[in-house]
This record gives sequence, C-alpha cells and structure tokens, in this order.
Amino acid sequence: MSALGTPIQGVTLYSFTRASHARHYDLEGLIRKVAAEGFGPGLELIGFSSLRGFPNRIDDIFAGRFRELLQEVDLVPTSLAVNVDTGLRRDRLMRHDETVEYMRAQIEVAARLGFPIARVQISLTPDAMESLLPVAEKYGVTLALEVHADQHGAHERVLALRDRYEQLDSPLLGFTADWGATVTGFAPSLLEAYRRRGASEELLGAVVDLWDGFYAEGPPNTQAVHGERFGAFIGLAGRHGRPDLGIDFAINGTGLFGPAPIETWQEIMPWVRHVHGKFFGIDETGEEPSVPVRGLVAQLVESGYNGAISSEYEGWHWNNWQDPFDIVRGEQALQRVAAADAGSCMITDPTQARELLHSHLAQPARG
Amino acid sequence: MIADRIIEQGTLTAQDGHAAVEVRIPWYRALPGSCIAGAALSIDGTQAPANTLRWTMNGRTFSFDELVQETDEWWFPLDSAILSGQVPVGQDGTEHEVQVELKIYIPYIITDHGVLHIEESDTKTMKVAQR
Repeated sequence: MSALGTPIQGVTLYSFTRASHARHYDLEGLIRKVAAEGFGPGLELIGFSSLRGFPNRIDDIFAGRFRELLQEVDLVPTSLAVNVDTGLRRDRLMRHDETVEYMRAQIEVAARLGFPIARVQISLTPDAMESLLPVAEKYGVTLALEVHADQHGAHERVLALRDRYEQLDSPLLGFTADWGATVTGFAPSLLEAYRRRGASEELLGAVVDLWDGFYAEGPPNTQAVHGERFGAFIGLAGRHGRPDLGIDFAINGTGLFGPAPIETWQEIMPWVRHVHGKFFGIDETGEEPSVPVRGLVAQLVESGYNGAISSEYEGWHWNNWQDPFDIVRGEQALQRVAAADAGSCMITDPTQARELLHSHLAQPARG
Repeated sequence: MIADRIIEQGTLTAQDGHAAVEVRIPWYRALPGSCIAGAALSIDGTQAPANTLRWTMNGRTFSFDELVQETDEWWFPLDSAILSGQVPVGQDGTEHEVQVELKIYIPYIITDHGVLHIEESDTKTMKVAQR
C-alpha cells in the first residue's frame, strides 16, 4: 500500500464566473480576492474565460505581469484549462492537424504563464493525444484530459485513452478527474431554481425519480445509453407540460450529475494528475448534499495522491441567491475535515504545495 | 448560463429607423464569430428583419452571413457586443420593451446531433439612451 496522499488545496476561477461576468472583479482583482480568502494555494483558470485574446494575443508583457502577480500573492499555478473546440467551424469539424495546432497554441500559453498542467477535453482521441505528446514534451506541460460526466473512469472512451497512455508510457499524459462524474443525487439547489421558475413539485419529484433510477442502473458506458437518458429527461418535461425545461433537465441531469460509483476512479487513478473538486452547493450542516466529497477526498488520500484539487463550484449556473465565496469556503472546510478523517491533511502552505506538485508531475513547466 | 444579463440595461439607441442595443454573452467563455449563429431583435413587439441585423464586436461590424466564416474575432465574456437592426423606435421619451434572442454554438461539445447549440432570450424595458 502506498503512503497516504496529501492533496493540495486550490480553486478554479470558474467557481466565480457569475461575479466575474458581472464585472465585480477583473482578473487581477479576482486573483487577489482568492489569495486573501485563503482559497489557494492552487490556482486554476480557463484560458478562454479569463484571458482576453487567448491564446494568440497573449504577449510577453502580460505573461510577465501574471507571473509576478502570482508570486506576489503566493499562489501556485496548477492547471490552465484549455478547450478542444473541434466544432469551431460551421461547415465541418476540425481536421486532425488543425486540432493539434489549435491545442499547441494553448499549451504554449500554459507554459508561458507558468502552469505545469493543461486541462484538455474528451474530444481528443487516443491518436490525437499521441500526436500531442511531442507538444507536451516541447513545452514541458502535462496534458490532463478531463474525465467529466457523462463519461467516467470506467467509460469505454476513457479506457481507450488509458490503454494508449500505458503504451506510450509518458508521465506527461494523464487525466483530470472531475467529481461531477460521480454524483449521488440531483442537486437540491437546482431543484430550487426550477421551483423558482414555476416547476411543480410533482414534476420535480419525477425528475429526481428519473435520475435516481439512472443512478441505480449505473453510469452510461456507451454514448448510445447516454443519448437515451438525455432523451428521457426531454420526454419527461414534455409529459408534464413544461417542454421549455426539457433541454435544461437533460443537459444537467446527464452532463453535470454523472451517476458513476466513486470506485470507477480506480480504473485510472495512477494517471490522475489533477482533480476538479466539482460541487453544486453546501447545505446548512456544512455538507455537499449531492457530491460525496468526504469519500472522494478519502479515496485520493488512500491512493497516495499529491496533486491539486481545484474546488470547482458549478451551482452558479442557476444559484443567483447565494454568495459563491461563502460556498467555496464551506466546501474547502469539508475537504480539510475529510482529509483529516482519512488520517492525512490538505496542503495549504504555498512552499510545500510547490514542492509537492513538482514531484507529483514529471517535470516543471518551462517558461 | 447567464441569460438574464444578455441585454445591457440603458443601452438602447435609435437612429434613422435603426435600433441598437448592447448585449453580453450568456456563457462563461469567449466564442468566435463563427459560433454566434443567430439573433433576433424586437422593440415593442416589432421584430427587425433578419437581413438588416448587424453584429459589432471588437470595433468591427458583421452581418450574420459574414459571422459564419469569422474565426479570428472573439466575443470575450466581459465585453459588450452591439446588436442592431432596422426597427422603428419612438423618440417620445417613453419606456420600450426590448427583446433579444441569441443562438450560440458550444464548440467543444459534439453530440450525436452535431455541435451543441443553445438558444437564450432576454427582455428588458428601457428608454432610448441620450447621447
């Protein structure tokens, strides 16, 4: 059995999308707020959300200022979330060579800003990941493909990637585990949002029953099963006279609340380089009612995981009545308790976090 | 999704039979012109004809046909774009009901039915802004 892990506490700025979109904080202001709140030391952000002109118009002056700011506030860059926009054009999907170049430009920015990891997405096939390995090597950036609902650690597409990683045997290819793949219930705060949009209790009960049924059946292992479930939510909304809510039920019910058991992460655990601590809300008892945060943190500790967990609050899509900073504070407190209960701790000291992250990953990013 | 912020309050302008309003992206990340697939603009229930609609971002103005090919100019989440179209607005100092519909593609989510697109709308009431 490996030594107990000490995950690094952190946050993604995505958690504060509503506040940033409202122009309450600019990028520097939000980073300073995160540091002052003690939500680090790990810091993640999404290139296309936070960086104007990403990726082709990020100049060296900006990159220098960004690095100096993080140094000043003592935050540790963990992952730059980059996007695999294969559907960018209207006439066709991106070709393989176009995709590789599109990703290369973003990965280069990750290196220049000091992020040792680039979060990539499921549209990348095993062949595409193999083509990107020389890019990862050139820039010294680990590519951590996000396993996100409706996929999960034991999904056919994820296992195909894992098998290719095993063949290629490079420490620069891995996964970002997103806890939204292993959810145990339809988030109560989203039900409350539907209630505020006039959904009846009968309809909300039926949505919960449908989701609970999928949870009992287990996660979708193929795209076909996923498609059937997506359609079932749309049909349910129609039968209850609220077809306007159907797509929303389907996107959230399948794409945000993945019903896989947490054991599915064991299939890919040795390749997990980064974690999105996805969650949707914290209740009055300090618990996450639909994401098994305690079990997920314990699993990482027991697996010897020393990478970062970016707290990723996604309830902002619908929750416009609670403060996201309070909610993230609550979730990180829960993570710390869970790590202590598992006989370890979350790393909150920046110096320790830097050292651990560098040894967790193959090599530091070259800037 | 942040649909309630699509229309920027107080930005309605009118000139020569055309109306214009500032709009915000209802999504968390930047999208290029090619992913801004369509819009509708109505003032007091009268819709601007589709072929008169224009989209201005980053100081450049496009028709929606031109946006289809546009992968260099991006709509950043903090920036307002301007949607304009040929629709009369009474200059009588009264409140007007402004409605905007937007259709955007989410380029990294590819479903069995193609690239995911979302349609959002927003309605706000405002006077014509004084310039």
